[in-house]
Amino acid sequence: MVNTDKSLIDAHCGGDRTAFGELVRRYGDSVLGYLMRMTGNREQAEDLFQETFKRVHEKAHTFRGLGFKNWLFRIATNAAIDGLRRQKRLRVVSLNQSVVCSDENCDELGAVTAADCCDASDEAIRAEQTVQVRQAVDELPAKQRATLVLAYYQQLSYSEVAEVMGCSTGTVKVQMSRALRTLARRLPDTSGGAQ
Amino acid sequence: MKRHLTEQELIEYRFKLASDAQMGEIGGHLGECGQCRGELGRLARKFAALDLLHEEIKASEDLISQVVEQAGQPRRIRLAAYRKLPAWAGAAAAVLVVGLLLVVSNLPKSDLYKEPVARGPGIAGIDEKETLAPYKFAAEGVGGFGMRPTADLAEPGISEQAPFAPASAIELVTLPRRDNVQLTIYNSADLTLVRERRNLTLKRGWNWLQFMWANTLIDPTSLSLEPLEKGDEIDIQQLVFPARLRELGRWLIRSEVSGQVPFEITYFTSGLSWRAFYMGTLGRDEKTMQMKGYVVVGNNSGEDYEDAQTRLIVGQVHLLDQIAELAARQYAYGRPGAEVVMLEEALDAGGIHLANGLFAPGVVELKQAVELLDRKEIKKEGLSEYFLYTIEGTETIPHQWGKRLLSFEAEDIKVDSLYKYDEERWGDQTIRFVKFANDKDHNLGETPIPDGDVRIYSQADDIGHLSYVGGTSVKYIPVSEEVELDLGPARLVKVEPVLMSFKTDNYMFDTKKEIAGWDEIRSWDMKLTNTRELPVEIEITRGFGTAYWTLRMDAKDVDYKKHDATHARFELKLGPRTKRTLGYTVTTYHGVREEAMSK
Repeated sequence: MVNTDKSLIDAHCGGDRTAFGELVRRYGDSVLGYLMRMTGNREQAEDLFQETFKRVHEKAHTFRGLGFKNWLFRIATNAAIDGLRRQKRLRVVSLNQSVVCSDENCDELGAVTAADCCDASDEAIRAEQTVQVRQAVDELPAKQRATLVLAYYQQLSYSEVAEVMGCSTGTVKVQMSRALRTLARRLPDTSGGAQ
Repeated sequence: MKRHLTEQELIEYRFKLASDAQMGEIGGHLGECGQCRGELGRLARKFAALDLLHEEIKASEDLISQVVEQAGQPRRIRLAAYRKLPAWAGAAAAVLVVGLLLVVSNLPKSDLYKEPVARGPGIAGIDEKETLAPYKFAAEGVGGFGMRPTADLAEPGISEQAPFAPASAIELVTLPRRDNVQLTIYNSADLTLVRERRNLTLKRGWNWLQFMWANTLIDPTSLSLEPLEKGDEIDIQQLVFPARLRELGRWLIRSEVSGQVPFEITYFTSGLSWRAFYMGTLGRDEKTMQMKGYVVVGNNSGEDYEDAQTRLIVGQVHLLDQIAELAARQYAYGRPGAEVVMLEEALDAGGIHLANGLFAPGVVELKQAVELLDRKEIKKEGLSEYFLYTIEGTETIPHQWGKRLLSFEAEDIKVDSLYKYDEERWGDQTIRFVKFANDKDHNLGETPIPDGDVRIYSQADDIGHLSYVGGTSVKYIPVSEEVELDLGPARLVKVEPVLMSFKTDNYMFDTKKEIAGWDEIRSWDMKLTNTRELPVEIEITRGFGTAYWTLRMDAKDVDYKKHDATHARFELKLGPRTKRTLGYTVTTYHGVREEAMSK
């Protein structure tokens, strides 16, 4: 028998530690994916991942049993926006910007990394385009970015996104529309590049 | 729908953001309009790029375990325990931390690299960048910001063929921290020349040095890199702006040496500005003044400048391109792979002109321009007034901060208080001026004084209370130049001209018995009032509307000076709390009488 989210939360509130672990495993990938796309940085996404589930743990008793996933993503969104706001305060992009990094975690150098592993120029172009897409998404305001990531990448319906974001569906559509219009200008043209 | 669909409508259709009715209407139009279908296809291909971020992301078992473990240790309990710690426990913990840091700092760098400290770029805060990055490089085998000695280093020769692009991420070096930085702010053109020194660790062979200017107002076309040592062994080959990488450039450096080399990097940025202002305090007798000069430097360049030596340029700089506009470009030269341009400068009267046509294709040689700009010194002749104003010591000016710096302070500057009356310029108001000179006699004259606002206060009483006297803005004051500060209308010193009599005389007639010339004779009483406790100096300028006039003073102790062809000027002193009437008669000559007068 598969435990429902609600039953797992209830069990967690009752002191069952395995229940919380099961919830984390159940939604871990999608929450981490969401936070990765929100932040563009694995390290920060993992920090926010921990923060999200810490908040879930602390607020579990307030969950009322309707749509755990949306509730979870709402917490993740708030954690991400808080994190981005903190980062914005600290952010100083300069000639000193650290863009040299290991092969695993460096988006900026994705192009070069890709070129390293494969001689095909298509791969290099594709990696550069990924950097551009990442940059275009990163430059969106936090709420537009959250809307886009939830609706496009997490494939939530607009009404679910509205529930996560704590606003109306109309507002979500406006945010989405603005984000897409911005992206239409900034996204690279991939039709001629690597497929 | 007869018109073509807008991009917004197409996006809303593509992503089902439109209402049902609109979806139907747009769908209907698309069924009929090939052009809009084509546009929708183009947008769909554009948005297909979003799928590049569609990679599968897995939460590691370690991460999940950490989260579950964290959940098993409620934060409240930990905090409570922390609060109960006695003071000695905090001190002991501090000692432990310091000890641990000492141990860690002595570990081999390769050990440090094994720590999971690496962070992605672009999001890291400044602390992370500065503390973590060296460890990452240290792991590559060369200390500091160097790069891993790759296999080709062991080879005796260096390939003559310059690499097209870095072979891998590890082949890239980013700029390390600045060792020192000098800012030269050309306020008039929103232009700042930044010269900074950094130590780069090079390997023998080809090196790639990567830099970014995202979120700054740096003009990427102006970047220049020069080794300060071993110049004959290091060759800066090219500066490339890789296609489709925004706000990022790479220098290709051929080095015959391996190790740390100091480099100077120069570039222009906008967003830094400065303004001067001055505060003068008149003494009780208003014969001396204390003056403080300040400079407020503001930084909106997007870049923090720490411990920067700051120099301010007074003078006009004319630029072909606005730096902020250049900095905002996605690619340094408008498109990737475009020619690298040479920036030269032409010196012209009044400042430096970067004239059109002086941008020629070629290798970046901005250094020349930089040196030319930099060696400008004080010039006081003619129109080419140009002055470098250096602020002593260094200052840290973070992004979005402004900083007020004291530029000079002078005591006991001899000043003359002067009241001027000139109906043509100021109407019936008497205007107060404070006059002094920027020279050694006035305890000034060390440097020219840049344009700025001046506020003058006077001592209102013996215990040091100040009262505001007035303010004005001054233009650049060269050394030895006199300056008069206009402090606005005076209420306590009045000049009131009263016309006492008017008559005409000496009519001359032509052959037709018509008037051909005459004299007008006016007698004026200038009623002067000084209600101040101090004696004042008054300068009165009177205009007659013609160059043909004569003037006779009633009083013998005051004479007039011919100020220009149509104006006379009186200068006199008035004692404290004094009234006086200054009378004069002016005769103006008209028609043929002008000729008679000139004879």
